[in-house]
Amino acid sequence: MGLAAISYDSVPVLKQFSDRMHISFPLLSDADSAVIRAYGILNESVAKDSAQFGIPHPGTYILDRRGVVTAKYFQEDFRVRDTAASILLRQFGLKPPAQEALEAKHATLRASAIEGELRPGQRVTLSLDVTLPRKVHVYAPGVQGYKPVALRLTESKGFQPDVPVFPPSKTVKLAAIHETVPVYEGQFRLLQTVTLGNAQQVEPLLDSNRQLTMEGQFQYQACDDRECFVPETVPLKWTVKVMQFDRTRVAPDLQRKAPR
Amino acid sequence: MALCGFAAAATIPTGPNVGEAVPGFTLKDQSNNPRTLHSILGPKGALLVFYRSADW
Repeated sequence: MGLAAISYDSVPVLKQFSDRMHISFPLLSDADSAVIRAYGILNESVAKDSAQFGIPHPGTYILDRRGVVTAKYFQEDFRVRDTAASILLRQFGLKPPAQEALEAKHATLRASAIEGELRPGQRVTLSLDVTLPRKVHVYAPGVQGYKPVALRLTESKGFQPDVPVFPPSKTVKLAAIHETVPVYEGQFRLLQTVTLGNAQQVEPLLDSNRQLTMEGQFQYQACDDRECFVPETVPLKWTVKVMQFDRTRVAPDLQRKAPR
Repeated sequence: MALCGFAAAATIPTGPNVGEAVPGFTLKDQSNNPRTLHSILGPKGALLVFYRSADW
């Protein structure tokens, strides 16, 4: 799958940035914003006499091999950005590297490890893979009379969680009690996207290795073909490394100036 | 008499929609090589990212 990024920066600016950050994919120079305009995403609320005029509303398109848009990600707040890894996970189910398994009652849990380092404002998708033994099922959201699976992150100023995403459930008829219920069996994955706070919110929460810990709880009620067990609550933790807000500039003579 | 400013609560423009083909282009990359949209697309397509600046 190809990858390229477009901005209004000049080639020398892109070269410095690419060398400093060791970027291996194309950074494309749209210095007169012709392509930004052709895509209809020029930010027209920027003052025309400023050095910032010409920037786009930032976002990402997912294209198929013919260049047709299959999905797009744009945010109202320009400081918020989905990470590529999160888009790949949510869009294509690309499996993140698994953390070690957590053995709970009637379930094995694997919280995703997050690759690389994140920056304030980025949106990252956490995943939780749940594996159930044979003949065991748990209940999907919307069930009546049983405790459905739930994922709740502990409130923190360091991030804002979206509503978690649950996969489609299977409807089964429990013959013994003449009930039809939505369940999960075997293996399933929950996705939880969070938006990291800005630098001021995140910095005080980092440990000495610049790690941010996000805690949560996974709740479920397991039943096998003979009985139902008490609902369980399992504490979970995801740790991400957060880079400093990047304030490095290119050399002054390369910096874009306001139009004369 | 108070003047009320009308703030248009318009959402940001986001360009081509799902199902539409994006405009082609030829732009120089960081090594000064010209790249076309076609050269970026692979057999599985591509991620095309627009961002504000690599400098600030």
